[in-house]
Amino acid sequence: MVAPTSPQPSALGPQHTDTVIKVSSFVKRYKKNVAVDGIDLEVRHGEIYGLIGPDGAGKSSLMKAIAGVLTYDEGTVNVFGILVDSERAAERVKQWIGFLPQGLGLNLYPDLSVEENIDFFARLRLVPERDLLERKTRLLAMTRLDKFRDRAMKHLSGGMKQKLGLICTLIHEPKLAILDEPTTGVDPVSRRDFWAILAELLQEKGMTALVSTAYMDEAARFHRLSFVSNGKELASGTPAEVRALVPGSMVTFEAAPQLDALARLKRTYRQVEALGPRLHVFTESTDAEQAMSDIATALNGLAPSNVRVDEPELEDVFVALLLRQVEHQEADGALSVSAMNRDHDGPAIEAKGLIRDFGSFRAVDHVSFRVQPGEIFGLLGANGAGKTTVIKMLTGIIPPTGGEGRVAGADMKIAGNAIKERIGYMSQAFSLYLDLTVVENIWLFAGIYGLDSRATEERLQWIVAMAGLHGYESNLTGRLPMGVRQRLALGCALVHRPRVLFLDEPTSGVDPIGRRRFWDILSRLAREEEVSILVTTHYMTEAEHCDHLALMYAGRIVAEGSPSDMKSQVEQEAGRLLEIETDIPGRALRRLKEAGFSEAALYGTKIHLLSRHHVQDEARLRTVLSSDGMGVKAVGGRPLSLEDVFVHRVMTLEQQEAATKRGAGV
Amino acid sequence: MNGRTTSGSRRAVVWWGRLVVMTRKELIQLFRDLPIVLFLTYSFTLAILISGNGLRSQLHNASLVVYDGDRSFASRDLIHRFHQPYFRFIGELSHPDEGLRRMDRGSVMAILEIPPRFHEQLAAGEPTAIQLLVDTTNAPQGFSAAGYAGRIVAEFGQDISATRIGGSHQGLASLPIITSEHRVWYNPDQNEAWFESISALLRTITIFAILLPATAMAREKERGTVEQLLVSPLTPLQIMLPKVLAMTLVILGATAVALFGVMQPAFGVPVRGSVILLFFMTALFTFTTAGMGLFASTITRNQAQVGLLTLLVVAPMLMLSGITTPMEALPDWVNALMLLSPLRYFIEIAYGILLKGAGLDVLWSQAIAMAALGGALFGFGTWRFRRQFQ
Repeated sequence: MVAPTSPQPSALGPQHTDTVIKVSSFVKRYKKNVAVDGIDLEVRHGEIYGLIGPDGAGKSSLMKAIAGVLTYDEGTVNVFGILVDSERAAERVKQWIGFLPQGLGLNLYPDLSVEENIDFFARLRLVPERDLLERKTRLLAMTRLDKFRDRAMKHLSGGMKQKLGLICTLIHEPKLAILDEPTTGVDPVSRRDFWAILAELLQEKGMTALVSTAYMDEAARFHRLSFVSNGKELASGTPAEVRALVPGSMVTFEAAPQLDALARLKRTYRQVEALGPRLHVFTESTDAEQAMSDIATALNGLAPSNVRVDEPELEDVFVALLLRQVEHQEADGALSVSAMNRDHDGPAIEAKGLIRDFGSFRAVDHVSFRVQPGEIFGLLGANGAGKTTVIKMLTGIIPPTGGEGRVAGADMKIAGNAIKERIGYMSQAFSLYLDLTVVENIWLFAGIYGLDSRATEERLQWIVAMAGLHGYESNLTGRLPMGVRQRLALGCALVHRPRVLFLDEPTSGVDPIGRRRFWDILSRLAREEEVSILVTTHYMTEAEHCDHLALMYAGRIVAEGSPSDMKSQVEQEAGRLLEIETDIPGRALRRLKEAGFSEAALYGTKIHLLSRHHVQDEARLRTVLSSDGMGVKAVGGRPLSLEDVFVHRVMTLEQQEAATKRGAGV
Repeated sequence: MNGRTTSGSRRAVVWWGRLVVMTRKELIQLFRDLPIVLFLTYSFTLAILISGNGLRSQLHNASLVVYDGDRSFASRDLIHRFHQPYFRFIGELSHPDEGLRRMDRGSVMAILEIPPRFHEQLAAGEPTAIQLLVDTTNAPQGFSAAGYAGRIVAEFGQDISATRIGGSHQGLASLPIITSEHRVWYNPDQNEAWFESISALLRTITIFAILLPATAMAREKERGTVEQLLVSPLTPLQIMLPKVLAMTLVILGATAVALFGVMQPAFGVPVRGSVILLFFMTALFTFTTAGMGLFASTITRNQAQVGLLTLLVVAPMLMLSGITTPMEALPDWVNALMLLSPLRYFIEIAYGILLKGAGLDVLWSQAIAMAALGGALFGFGTWRFRRQFQ
């Protein structure tokens, strides 16, 4: 099918217009609940348009209506110039649309192999066999799934499933791709992969994409975006335009004692975060000097050190926008230091050479680490690296194949029940009873842990205050917003004052304010109550909160240390981070890779690469790019983020593994 | 010493407390599940009413057509003896072939053919024959139609003979005739609604006892809530037992409603034995059957699978445990297999207590068999529970 070059309303192809999607005053209600309340949206040809917002903001409803699979109550939806208001109109636009629904691999068939899934979707869309063969080969190579052609979809990791989902959505080369939260629950490496593939395909085929995400740091990858919350649009435009809506700066520094500093800052600033030893403050002042002197005043005598002033990230902007919208309920003072009978006789968690096999597959391979009392320990790794299995062994859900472990002073093998009395656990899947009310859930877990009625009442009050559940007490848990649910789950995990807390991806799908509040609670639990916390997460910004990190790859721990240790290790190995701004980032990236900067990666609209010799490399890349006629707007050093660390580590290991396999194969 | 007993009694309090909160949780969840509540209500009330009223295994209003080739006084007399409630005369045929066609279509169940010269031959004292064609697609109904017809014709023949010999009733009295006087025990009115409604109740109890705990457990696995329970200090017994306790309470309540709210007022089903014993035995049966359901839930992954598996177990149990077919009529190996079906024992217990007024002195062996079976199933399920996650 040849893309029409002139406006021609025909059945062969959509009318070529500059505006692909136009939505005005869109309203969608579910019975009495208003999911989307008057949203306007315009997506132009060739754009990656982002819909960003917390869970339950109305993103999915809007996307489904545009894809023609959901009716709406008010307003208009135009796709390719066709008003989508009836079943027939929807049928007409559907042929040009590829839709990837929310949820890992939900549109795929678990028992079919990778290739069978692709073939099925291609034949469903009547793709000619020759085109199918060609596209399949290319897409499989691009997503590095070609080795797994015959593997059943259910045996793929989360990131691979999502890439396969993308192939199946795009196999008929739609004019418009609608992707609903394609990266939720996917590790940073696969996420970066996913965005690179999408950008390349879109550019090559002249497609347009509407993509939603709950990861605020992905916002920089969109050409234009709308920020949605509670069914309303809070901001829209290019990332730069949105950033300009909230002028200010991000100040990072250290101040001791941290808890005092935090309390003092919170009196003046609404956006204050503790990231490990550092404090992170958003100020509305754009002038660095001014911002610093304001903060010094707020600190009231505590001296800040190691100060850095940055432009705010999009995430900071979104939080600021959300805070303007909602009245922030402070949970301050709710945490009281409780008298727990602790014995300071060593680490809270100690794993020694833990091994776990599933059949012939070794999921966890000699994992050892220690978590000190009151420490937040982060376990990072791609999907399927073995993090969850480690947690399941330490909590006694599954027995280890080999190795030893001590949790809360008790031996894993012989004192399983003693451990269970002393730990709290929150799993990936929301693990409370959705058909019980908030209070019923708390009563249930209080009863399970053997609390008497007085203690139950006291803990109930504590949990309600800690998690900000006032007014929700008799609501069914299933009807709570995601962030509130997660805090309730945390509360239930803490009902018996455990000494050790295991959290397996606790904030998946929670909005940024909810996440920040959640981490606020965690920090205070660790600092004030000396609860030890073992946590896994895919949000690398969250990993910054941890005192100590361990990165897992293929069942082993491959790097360990505090966040700043991890960064300096990578800096020593591979050099410092260079950020490059160019006119055409996609093409520039390809040129750079060809020129030998193999680790270059797209980060938003900017290119990041690690360089040992800044000056030479900068000169070299400038010549590479300008020889190709591309302008270089700016090149500058940047502090490494944990995401860079993660991607660097995992990519290096993947390359090594591929190299040894190739060596063994020959 | 004192400290140890305190901690011991404290542990017992916690143990019971856990059981209570978990059971309460199951009850709350069950009653918030509207479709289940509606299904439960329907099954223990309306469904029992319907099967008590509707199901008949006795011959009732079998449609009959007649080809009367004789059209005499005798032939008409015979035809008149095929009457309701067993037979229903729906018409006469002009040609014998027409009857077969109608039977093929299924619009008649029996065809009576009376040959020409029927009356004449009877009057002459010659032997004569009539023909009855019966549709035995539904075998029991067909056989009983043939049986009833045989009896009607035999009586007719007897009467004709008697008239010929004595011409009066005095003559008849002098003939050597054996009359069989039967007495029906336990259900003197031969009220079928009793049997049918009780067996419907037993079927319903069985289905819910196996399905409710099985799906409740499978749901916990599906939603991941079971992980939260696994990392808590609950033992497998403390996780499984509350499900059984909750479902047993619900089923006992529903049984009470069915028995005293539907079956007694509508059909006058008696409870001749001890009500307390009946409910105690129902609880034991529910516990045993729930053990089967829980075991099924440990070898399946989700509600759909466990639903299908329990269907596979329940169907033969219902058919072969003695409700529809007497145990004696089954092949030996089926009989042996059904020793594992708790329903087999419960049927004897339930009919025994309700209709025969039997007590434990008669039913103890069934009660012990059921308890042993329940203990074994539950123990096995608990043992499997932990292993399924590893």
